[in-house]
Amino acid sequence: MNRMKAFTLTGFLAFILVLSACSSESGGNSGDSEASEDSVTLTIGSWRTEDKASYQKIIDKFNEENPDINVEFKPSKNTEYNTILNTALQSGEGPDIIHLRPYTPGIELADAGYLEPLDDLEGLDQYSDETLAASKGSDDKQYGVPLNMSTTQMFYNKKMFEEMGLEEPQTWDEFMELNEKIKKEGKTPIALGTKEGWLLSLSHGIIGPAHYGGNEFVDQITAGETDFTSDEFQSSIDAMDELKQFFPENYEGLGMEDIRTMFFTGDAAMFPLGSWEIEVLREMNPDLELGFFPIPSAVGKEPTITTWVDGSYAINASSEHKDAAKKFLQFMTTEEFGTMFTEEFKMISAIPGIESEDELVNALGKAAEEQSTPYMMLVHFAGGNPSTKATIETELQGMYLGERTPEEVAKTVQESAQSWYEPLQK
Amino acid sequence: MKPATNSNSVVKIKKERNWKRWTIHLFPIPALLIYGLFIVYPLFAALTYSFFDWKGIVRGEFVGLKNFKDLFTLEPFSGLFWNAFGHNILYFVLQMVFQNGLAFILAYIIYKKVKGSEFLKIAYFLPRLLSVIVVGFLWKLILNPNYGALNVILEKLGLEQFQKAWLGDPDTALISIILVNCWYGIGFGVLIFLAGLQSIPKELFEAGKLDGADGLSMIRKIVLPLMVPSFMIMTVLTFIQSFEAFELVYAMQGSQGEPYHSTDTLAIYFYRLAFGGSAGGSTTAVGLGSALAVVLFLFISFFTALYLRYMQKKQVDM
Repeated sequence: MNRMKAFTLTGFLAFILVLSACSSESGGNSGDSEASEDSVTLTIGSWRTEDKASYQKIIDKFNEENPDINVEFKPSKNTEYNTILNTALQSGEGPDIIHLRPYTPGIELADAGYLEPLDDLEGLDQYSDETLAASKGSDDKQYGVPLNMSTTQMFYNKKMFEEMGLEEPQTWDEFMELNEKIKKEGKTPIALGTKEGWLLSLSHGIIGPAHYGGNEFVDQITAGETDFTSDEFQSSIDAMDELKQFFPENYEGLGMEDIRTMFFTGDAAMFPLGSWEIEVLREMNPDLELGFFPIPSAVGKEPTITTWVDGSYAINASSEHKDAAKKFLQFMTTEEFGTMFTEEFKMISAIPGIESEDELVNALGKAAEEQSTPYMMLVHFAGGNPSTKATIETELQGMYLGERTPEEVAKTVQESAQSWYEPLQK
Repeated sequence: MKPATNSNSVVKIKKERNWKRWTIHLFPIPALLIYGLFIVYPLFAALTYSFFDWKGIVRGEFVGLKNFKDLFTLEPFSGLFWNAFGHNILYFVLQMVFQNGLAFILAYIIYKKVKGSEFLKIAYFLPRLLSVIVVGFLWKLILNPNYGALNVILEKLGLEQFQKAWLGDPDTALISIILVNCWYGIGFGVLIFLAGLQSIPKELFEAGKLDGADGLSMIRKIVLPLMVPSFMIMTVLTFIQSFEAFELVYAMQGSQGEPYHSTDTLAIYFYRLAFGGSAGGSTTAVGLGSALAVVLFLFISFFTALYLRYMQKKQVDM
């Protein structure tokens, strides 16, 4: 009996301790900010652990004009960043400045009230509406300063093209002929595998606009004037199906690393992927002569580069130093910052008109300004559960495995979008 | 005088004993704390989460059993649930046959003291010492369709017609993963079965021999019945492990159940629902995910308890 009591008591004690551990709230956000009366310390949360050194340079530059604001860049691992950030925000904590995921996931945070509206911030008017849309809340307020653009396009191996006497295609037919020629030479035309679904929505983002007709279709579908079962969209899926003859052998079992390796080792001539691959490709094979071309239209429109905002910076609504944080975001809209960013990070700044010393990045940036079409699935259709973007990934995968017809793919995508996307519910 | 001091010291000893008896109960506290914080608390948290509507990461209103109803009746969730459930059953069956069946045979061979049995014992157990992530990565390389060792070997043997994109073909992807899991887990099975075999008294074998039992009938009549506890342990462990199958599938195929949902298990499906997949850009359904976690927990604990009860009864009967 006595023993039983002791046991219960111990258990109870443990339980209380657990409870108190759970409910204890561990203080403010940014710790020893009151060191000197005028100086504050800001923390930046991000998923770019690899950019720590580059951010330090940016911060040093910022401190030249704002010596009384200390800024700490505290990134966490890419795949865990969302979870860490969400948990912190839910308990009223988190960094003062938040690196925001683009579109739906970021906007979800704004709609939940965790972010500070930035409408009065100077410098926001230089960005285009499409760029701002990446971090615009459902209440039409701006919550983020766009940082950088990602683009997807067809990369190609310049040397291989030269050896085979090929040129950048100007029309879709030329593109198909080009593929035939490379295949005849015994090389793989397009390095693409279908094992990882995200590669499929991504490559559809490149190929698709050439068939559904770029921005015009995007405007129509977001207004609810057409849908995914329309001929335009259907032809974009058909094109994806048709291209499989130019994919590598066993493409259904190839993932990201496999196709990248095929491309930089010269087994494959073209690589439909994003601007972030430039650095990786050069690192893996410094001799690779890398070129890119916008996808030529099959329906008589201009060739397109697919673009979207990759990240924005926002302010935590429960930050104690909002004014200082705003100063930093203000700095992020300046040309000075933009130039430094492109040089340091080799990425395309979201600020218009910034030139890069890197020829390829520069050309991409220019093309992105002149021939851009949005990555429609990410920008407009990343909502729903499972999201419409995830749906097209699985469905395309099914198509390449022979489980789905292109018509079924379009139909399922339409059903998914209809379940949550208001313009399509009319 | 004397008796007085005596009784005093008795009291002292008693007090000391009492104190000791009390303090001993303080020692589990750190462990209990960790257990409470990381197991009991999340369990109840998931249970409560599953009763609410979730908008992204924000908890909405109380919706009762709606999440559970959606999970079982609303497409695509219900289709995906049963699809994943079927895969877990396949996982269990294949592991029972290939992992535990082979493990028993191997254990018996080692027990019979063939040459090099000590070496074999270590060799079979070796994969278990590797991290699951390493195992997954290694096998991903071996199974790679274009430069993986398996397809290269098939080609060298002139068996090109059997070459496949092992992890890219929905017909072979899950089975490949399960067989890798068997390879990984077989050493543990061998150890358990070997321990079971070694605990059988030698006299029984001698008596059996005198009564004319040999080879197979020895296994059937003497070894198998006495190995019931080992089989029981392995069955329960395999059951739990195969219905919680996650790490290896995740390491080899990611969280999307690719290709085309052919490698979805309940745990992978749960992860995708609750945490929004591996790509970082997809939406989450915390309510549905929690509901699935609760269902999974109840299912595993119910059948494990049922099975253990049944086997205990059976053991008593014998």
